[in-house]
Amino acid sequence: MSHRYWLRLDNAALIFPAIRRPGWSNVFRESATLTEDIDPVILQEAAEDLQPRFPSLYVRLRAGVFWFYLEDIRAPLQVRKDFAYPLTYMSKEEQKTCCLRILYYKNRIAVEFFHALTDGNGAAVFLRTLVARYVELRYNVKIPAEKGVLDITEPYTQEEISDSFQKYSGKYALSRPEPNSYRLKGTREKDGFRHLITGVIPTKELLNTAHRYDVSVTVFLAAVMAKSVLDMQAVRVPRAFRKPVKITVAVDLRRIFQSGTLRNFALALNPGVDGRFGPYDIADLCKVIKHQLSAEILPQFMAGRIAENVLPQKLLILRIMPLFIKNFVMRLVYNYRGETKGSLNISNLGNVPVPDALSPYVQRLEFIIGTQITYPNNCSVISCGDVTCVNMIRNIRETELERRFFSQLVELGVPVAIESNDRINEGA
Amino acid sequence: MYCVKCGVRLQDGVPSCPLCQTPVWNPDADKAEPEKRYSSRLPKRLPNERIPAAIFLTIVLCAVCSACFFFCMEQLGKVAWSGHVMLACAVVYVCAVLPMWFRKPNPVIFVPVSFAAVGGMLLYICVDTGGKWFLSFAFPVLGIITILTTAAVVLLRYVGRWKLFIIGGLLIAIGGSSMLIEMFQHITFETRMFVWSPYAVSAFCGAGLFLLLAGIIKPLRQWLIRRAFL
Repeated sequence: MSHRYWLRLDNAALIFPAIRRPGWSNVFRESATLTEDIDPVILQEAAEDLQPRFPSLYVRLRAGVFWFYLEDIRAPLQVRKDFAYPLTYMSKEEQKTCCLRILYYKNRIAVEFFHALTDGNGAAVFLRTLVARYVELRYNVKIPAEKGVLDITEPYTQEEISDSFQKYSGKYALSRPEPNSYRLKGTREKDGFRHLITGVIPTKELLNTAHRYDVSVTVFLAAVMAKSVLDMQAVRVPRAFRKPVKITVAVDLRRIFQSGTLRNFALALNPGVDGRFGPYDIADLCKVIKHQLSAEILPQFMAGRIAENVLPQKLLILRIMPLFIKNFVMRLVYNYRGETKGSLNISNLGNVPVPDALSPYVQRLEFIIGTQITYPNNCSVISCGDVTCVNMIRNIRETELERRFFSQLVELGVPVAIESNDRINEGA
Repeated sequence: MYCVKCGVRLQDGVPSCPLCQTPVWNPDADKAEPEKRYSSRLPKRLPNERIPAAIFLTIVLCAVCSACFFFCMEQLGKVAWSGHVMLACAVVYVCAVLPMWFRKPNPVIFVPVSFAAVGGMLLYICVDTGGKWFLSFAFPVLGIITILTTAAVVLLRYVGRWKLFIIGGLLIAIGGSSMLIEMFQHITFETRMFVWSPYAVSAFCGAGLFLLLAGIIKPLRQWLIRRAFL
């Protein structure tokens, strides 16, 4: 694709440029830890080879009169050395140059995406294709285009760059009123440092424990997280004033609608329980969250939830409204409703397979979502082979949530190995 | 190596558990540094993102002032109405544009500076129109508002706690000062005394006392936080 091109933002992406603010941008990261140190020259070559295959990712954000849009980047994307912490602030100026970062450190390749480009599953396809191309160039081996690795000699398809929200939206919007949830608080890091604690867990042990409660890994981890937050609320808030604790779980819609898009196609649900009716044990929470999620994840309901977001986008009055007014309105709506319905996010990409020819070179994959504007904590999970990485990021000093969460996993018989980028532990 | 408190396995060489900060003591372990997962490279300190907007607004205000000045001189041969426009632009600049040049403008400085700019403008209008209301009315009223607002900003910024007491106290002070303001109005414009200030006193003092009570009575405070602030 040598000519200049531009793309509309998908429906979910419309909100992200409008709500960004100095010091905060909605960015997430996926990374692969390889067996040997990364050669930046080869990584640069691999990154350039992928550009024609992923036209919706090698883009920059531009503002039009009525909408933001994505435009191809003018100069080749430069790979860079990683920073002291993940998901450093992606400024407006950087987004005007490129909304994608490829970073390396020791034996790790990391890719950071502005959320307007894609979601976790689209990013996982890009990361695996990038790593496969890097391994091909570095070790002179052939990695087959399978298990999420795309053939870079083939052209991209229209489905890959299409907005599936428009395609699968229902005719009628499904909107359910939800109460506000309990919010975590702490002492913010003034310099914007993001603390990351990674729990490395054997996938088999985690699966076995989740199956003991007859639930999936996502539901099990959401239940343990809800229990941790409920315990914290029980210490801090008198019973009569406790609020619902709800965990925002991202649902990949590709599996429901059989879509092959590489752009955003996920929705968030907020299963949870009211803290006043506690105490709950893990089995109770697993049961509640499992049934709340399974009652919602029906294609008909999901199409209605998509319609709730898509239908306003089609209103003539909104379409002809200048961008700065749209931004103001979206910001207002987001401030009022956006982050009030959940206590924190859990985003589980599930098992992300890599081709057999690639697996000897890959130690593990990691997935990290950033903190929200008001949530100080977030959690993201990814499994590759027998390694599951549970990444807990925070922009506050206190580690109480992480301590309760991982300690509960250990108590439930799941072995956890902890790694962190903590400045205290590194003596920095 | 495991944390004795949390039960999680730790990286070799870490001085304490990242979860509970329990120190690690293992005389048999290697004293090697833990493997660093991230580089020590910190992101570049970004320039103030509001500077382009500040430059744009400065140019716009300068253009408005220049256009008015030259048009007024052309029309009347002296600075007449354009002086009011230029001063209004200066007030807008001091209140809205000047803080944009700073990454984190300190409201403790900019709030009194903004009130001083407004005071300067009122003085100019008073002198220009030959009025006699500045010293007896505008100056003391503006002074009261400046002191109250600055005190509130300082307390809320630096004390951080007892917000209900601070806001409650401020409301009572506003209520009390409304009588002073009406007195200055009475002295300057020779109007009737106690026409509106008793209502302001009762409304502001009532609201302030309610907040003070909420600060003292915990269930009321919790209800208020639940209903109004969270």
